[in-house]
Amino acid sequence: MLEIKNLHAKVEDKSILNGINLNIKPGEIHAIMGKNGSGKSTLSNIITGKEGYEVTQGDIKYRNESITEWTPEKRSLHGIFMSFQYPVVMPGVNNTYFLKAALNAKRKYNGQKELDAAGFLKIIKEKLQDLKMDPSYLQRAVNDGFSGGEKKRNEILQMLTLEPSLSILDETDSGLDIDALKIISDGVNRYKSPKRSFLIITHYQRLLEYIEPDIVHVLIDGEIVKSGTKELALKLEEKGYGWLEK
Amino acid sequence: MNTSSYQSEFEKLLTRDYFSPKINPQRKNAFEEFLKKNLSKKAWDNLRFTNLSALKKNDFRISEVFDAPKKNFKYPEAVTADNYKIVFNNGHYQKQLTTLPKGIEIFTNLEYYDNRKNKVAQPTASPFDLLNTAFMDSGMSLVVEKNIEIKSPILLVFINTGKDQLMISPRIHVDIGKSSSISLIEHHIGLGSGNFSNSTTIFSLKENSHCKHIRLQKDSDQAINAGNIHLEQEKYSKYYLSHFGFGSSLGSIGVNSDLNGQGAECHLSGLCLTRNHQHLDTHILINHKSPNCISSQNFKTVLKDYSSGVFNGKVMVEKDAQKTDSNQSNKNILLSKNARMNSNPQLVINADDVKCSHGSSTGEIDQDALFYLRSRGIDYKTAKSILIHGFVSEIFDSADNLEIINYIKSDFDKWIEN
Repeated sequence: MLEIKNLHAKVEDKSILNGINLNIKPGEIHAIMGKNGSGKSTLSNIITGKEGYEVTQGDIKYRNESITEWTPEKRSLHGIFMSFQYPVVMPGVNNTYFLKAALNAKRKYNGQKELDAAGFLKIIKEKLQDLKMDPSYLQRAVNDGFSGGEKKRNEILQMLTLEPSLSILDETDSGLDIDALKIISDGVNRYKSPKRSFLIITHYQRLLEYIEPDIVHVLIDGEIVKSGTKELALKLEEKGYGWLEK
Repeated sequence: MNTSSYQSEFEKLLTRDYFSPKINPQRKNAFEEFLKKNLSKKAWDNLRFTNLSALKKNDFRISEVFDAPKKNFKYPEAVTADNYKIVFNNGHYQKQLTTLPKGIEIFTNLEYYDNRKNKVAQPTASPFDLLNTAFMDSGMSLVVEKNIEIKSPILLVFINTGKDQLMISPRIHVDIGKSSSISLIEHHIGLGSGNFSNSTTIFSLKENSHCKHIRLQKDSDQAINAGNIHLEQEKYSKYYLSHFGFGSSLGSIGVNSDLNGQGAECHLSGLCLTRNHQHLDTHILINHKSPNCISSQNFKTVLKDYSSGVFNGKVMVEKDAQKTDSNQSNKNILLSKNARMNSNPQLVINADDVKCSHGSSTGEIDQDALFYLRSRGIDYKTAKSILIHGFVSEIFDSADNLEIINYIKSDFDKWIEN
């Protein structure tokens, strides 16, 4: 699904990623753990195509195609999704309008008929229920006045709506209470399938109790220094990152 | 400034009989002050970022009765069809096209000034005010009785036509009686070229009266369009303005409100869209003169190409105006590196128990929001359009009239596309 080879990247002459190798197969859940500044968010931003990063070496392949030159929208249309660490607030942009525009962009790309308001509501209402979200969410402006938990649920709602093949969850657990964490993980777990892959980026082991990873990687200074099973996450929780640092 | 043709047109105007000659002293005072201040930036500090060369060049001639349309003139469609309507052509009131509800009387300005023995205070806040007083040549006055509620909006359509460089100076008085409410839609349509439309509208809002006012400025690309609004508000009166400045090459909206009676409210919203070398100004002054008054300003501009804009917003809170509640916001988006915006929000507070806020921001479109939308598969152009729509939507909504909002939105969509 996703194959990253020897990826080096910099932001304004500052080298952030220093040779990342990562191979996520269909159906796999990988977790990347690391301290602040280790390059976790840079990695997810580069996979989704955010501007301002320069890939200086290496390549990112998605379904065997190099995507480093693709626009963010092309990556999304091909099935790459990121749940943002800090979802953007968009005053004046209605949530329904936004979700419908996104879903219809995807349907159009896939040669499907675009949905009208009624068709869209039918699809979205079910997903709202799954995430225990009140339908009034749809009438609000995107993330405007949303609590931390509401914003994250809104991200997962988008994931369930757009049905990506590769979902990157960038610190989706930060700022969540235990109830919200459970609702979100339930949503993700129901969405899991042998054809879908996940990359979970997190500080803490907590989320991984709910969404069980196949492989855990430790990122330090822009390099994956260790990979292992979920026990690695428990060890990090217990011992911190010190023992892995050079 | 070349004043010779202002001078000769002024002499000509004094011989016309649209108004009583008894107000000529007031005209002369205004004209003298206009000449004295000479459109200099020193005299008009608010206009220091506004290029007035089109006014200085001045080869205008006054609008005459014969400039009104010929009999077979086909009127363009106004913003809505099924309303009470008052039509002006090149400033001249077209009585035969007017429909009005009961409880409202229309007077010619000759009659209106006569009824008041020509004792009407003349505004002097801007050179546009001075020019309007000196040259007022048309318009009419609306007088609403007390205790009248008129729900259906009254449409004031200003159609500017012709190839000549006309100086059109309508004067409108709107007097709203105690506990009455009306809704006005002022629609400026430019079919001519190079005219200078300079209207001054003076509102008198009696106790507990309400007025909703939508102003839609779609003058022609070569025109100069100034709208000068003055308000005297008695206690518990409420005034709401939604201004949409889309047209003209040089445009200006000025609002001066005196909140004279306690509990009066003045709520102003506005959206300007500028492109090419267009320049649009907004000048607001709200005087809180009594306790417990509320005012709000929410103005936005979206600028393209080499266009520019100015926002000057000032709130004055006088010593006795305790418990004033006032907020002021000006936000602007620059869609081009060559566009310029000057924003100047000001607060002068002389009372000690008030709640006042103000803020201003000007910048490019939010790159993080743009990426967010694109990361959901929405293409760059659509994403940009969604964000600009979101930015302006609260100003649309302030119009509180679905038909008008849809009309403005379709204009806006075309503007974004091109």
